[in-house]
Amino acid sequence: MAQTIAAQLDKTLNDFERNVPHVQATAVVSTDGLVIASRLPSDVEEDRIGAMGAAILSISTRSGRELERGEMVRVLIEGTEGYILIRSVGEYAILVALVEKEVRLGLLFYEAKKCIQLLREIL
Amino acid sequence: MADIKQVVLERNLNPYHSFFSSFFAGLAELGMINQGSINIVSKRAAEYLYSYLEAKEILPDLGAVPGDTPTEVAKNLILYINKILNLVGEYDFKDAEDGMAVLMIAGNTCRICPKGVGGAEVKGTLCPIPTLIENLVNRIAQKDLLELVTSGIEKEGSTCKAYFKVLN
Repeated sequence: MAQTIAAQLDKTLNDFERNVPHVQATAVVSTDGLVIASRLPSDVEEDRIGAMGAAILSISTRSGRELERGEMVRVLIEGTEGYILIRSVGEYAILVALVEKEVRLGLLFYEAKKCIQLLREIL
Repeated sequence: MADIKQVVLERNLNPYHSFFSSFFAGLAELGMINQGSINIVSKRAAEYLYSYLEAKEILPDLGAVPGDTPTEVAKNLILYINKILNLVGEYDFKDAEDGMAVLMIAGNTCRICPKGVGGAEVKGTLCPIPTLIENLVNRIAQKDLLELVTSGIEKEGSTCKAYFKVLN
């Protein structure tokens, strides 16, 4: 039996988290800032991740264009305790990942690209 | 964007409507806000507005709010909120399928739409009304009377719709 879109998204996010040690949480959100699917710890407010992730990507994309840096590839926010990775998934969705400081960034970027290709096929 | 003069006159806007809608339109065009963030800040605004109504001593007497069903009580509280805030011209709130109720707004009578009034040229919706109504009604009713089911507003032609679960 075919999986529902929600189940396919959940599996894709789960595989991404499994393939990249130190990924703590992931979400797919609409460009409107509304959560489509997520694997977040219970203490993380889903609505805020969605709204902020979409706003950060949107403003970064706009900044990139206005300051002539070309199309946005990814947004990586580095904090003292870890990273937030945000990438566009086609025209209408965004991938947000919360990652620990110990992550290998090369692996994170490589797997994120693979994950996005899968998410695009699902959505 | 529609002609500003036409929008101002047809929707009977006051200066605060123009300010609010164009201000949020500008933030949306900069990519700073989206429907998700509007939902979050509308919840905060509902809390603040409740305090305002309380300070001005213009909260309705709950015992005197007419309505034989929770939907009717909610409808009358929405009427009160719209009278105070002057959000929209034509709207209805009525029972829908599966124990839900629907708020239907004639889009061309909305006075605070960042897109229709403020002229925001962005994709998606930017409607503060459903979350504002949900939280302000519940605050005034002093219980959970409405639970927003849709994550914002759904456009159906020129009508904007939001679905709520009506709780007893």
